[in-house]
Amino acid sequence: MTLAETQASFHALATRADFLPAAAEDFLLGSPELPAEERIGIYADMYLWRLADALREDYPKLAGLLGDERFLPLAEAYAREHPSDRPDLGQFGRHLPTFLRRFPAPERADLGDLAALEWARAEVFFEEPATPIARDALVALGPDAFLAARLDLVPALRILVLDNDAAAVWRRLEEGDPGAAPVAGATAVAVWRAGFEVLHAPVGLDEARALEIARAGEPLPNVCAAFQHREDPVRAAFAAVASWLDEGWIAAISRG
Amino acid sequence: MAFTRKLIGHGIGLRTKHFARYLAEPPPVDWVEAVSENFMAPGGRPVAVLEKVRRDVPVVLHGVSLSIGSTDPLSESYLGELAELAGRVEPAWISDHLCWGSHGGRYAHDLWPLPYTEEALRHVVARVQRVQEVLGRQILLENISSYVAFRASEMEEWEFLAEVARRADCGILLDVNNVYVSARNHGFDPHAYLAAIPADRVGQIHLAGHSDRGRYLLDTHDHEVPAPVWDLYRETVLRLGPVSTLIEWDDHIPPLESLVEESRQAAAIEAEVLAPRLRRAMP
Repeated sequence: MTLAETQASFHALATRADFLPAAAEDFLLGSPELPAEERIGIYADMYLWRLADALREDYPKLAGLLGDERFLPLAEAYAREHPSDRPDLGQFGRHLPTFLRRFPAPERADLGDLAALEWARAEVFFEEPATPIARDALVALGPDAFLAARLDLVPALRILVLDNDAAAVWRRLEEGDPGAAPVAGATAVAVWRAGFEVLHAPVGLDEARALEIARAGEPLPNVCAAFQHREDPVRAAFAAVASWLDEGWIAAISRG
Repeated sequence: MAFTRKLIGHGIGLRTKHFARYLAEPPPVDWVEAVSENFMAPGGRPVAVLEKVRRDVPVVLHGVSLSIGSTDPLSESYLGELAELAGRVEPAWISDHLCWGSHGGRYAHDLWPLPYTEEALRHVVARVQRVQEVLGRQILLENISSYVAFRASEMEEWEFLAEVARRADCGILLDVNNVYVSARNHGFDPHAYLAAIPADRVGQIHLAGHSDRGRYLLDTHDHEVPAPVWDLYRETVLRLGPVSTLIEWDDHIPPLESLVEESRQAAAIEAEVLAPRLRRAMP
């Protein structure tokens, strides 16, 4: 058996793969008190536990909501579908929101949205720092420059558009309601970091659209156009952009 | 080809639980060891803490995902990130484990043992040389705890470790707890292991605790250093002389003071073991 064949066989056993190129006894040494199959089983148990722990760290509210009894089988099923493909264990869980939407739990369909919120929180925690600009920068722009100006949003900001109010479920879990019921209805949430603290808050669906337009690098008038269905679109757009500045979501205003 | 041991004293691992303390005051130890992968992110609290700590005390980088023994290609992007991190942190040295943990592009995030064969030896040596070329420095490789051995092995683990260090011209991070755990799990003599390690290649020592699962010991790093491991440490220091030593906890991490106390215990043992030698050296 070559080194590559040995590792393929070991990997299959330690990850409890469906296809096993070799039995443990064929290439591993055991002892009467601890046979080879049990020894490789130690690795197989640790493999699952380590991946489940990584998910638990990134998805604490989801893990709490499901409890170990349901979270561990979820982790196992997810690891089979999305085995870790990066050296950084912190990236292992990045497909979980999509996985939960593709294979929703029979009793509630909002877990993918809750996971999306938690993953966004995990992501912004490690994002590149940026110094936000103050509200004065917008005032200093002047009306001519305004038409061509573009907003550079800080890296540590995510905008989520969800089918369920995951932020409400998150809050109830945070407040100690272990079985927080789903809250249906489309919502948008902004997730950002202030200093070392990760925050999130609901935003209007049109505001979320405006932020996405800004993120795409379109000029300010296009960003403001997202508020055109409001009663006073100009005032709404101004209030939104001012609040983005106040929250520290804008790193720069580029003049065209 | 040579390896120069750097003496920076007795340190502890940089763990999230103690981040607030490190932001407020310098670590009360000689140096700290940071798990490389935990600090490769572009920002956030961990990066800020490491930036602060490296201004206070020497830092070493200890990786868990190099997968030096894997038959997968070396991850050039990982090596690039590691080189970039080393450029920022300027660690006293960089280490990882003599093991593998990825196959077919999939990472187990575990430290899996190698068969101790000439084929594996040649494979690992070539990869260590490539890593050292990219990083522009020698690395240290740590012996792991293991629970299974391979029928194909042609030499003992300690022979394999020594030969990797010699042929690749790298250093050894000698984990005394891992020697003890593997000795119990495989039934070999830990004293023979320690006696066979080339003294001039050892750049660092790890000390840790483990869990007794009855029929085997599990390397959990969630207990204090137990008495048999302290005894092996004494023996190691007596043979090797002073070596930079780290107290390593990865789970159920106690208050900072407990880690510092264990680190001081290691320093006291080293001083006690080496004192007679120093006295003899006086004119």
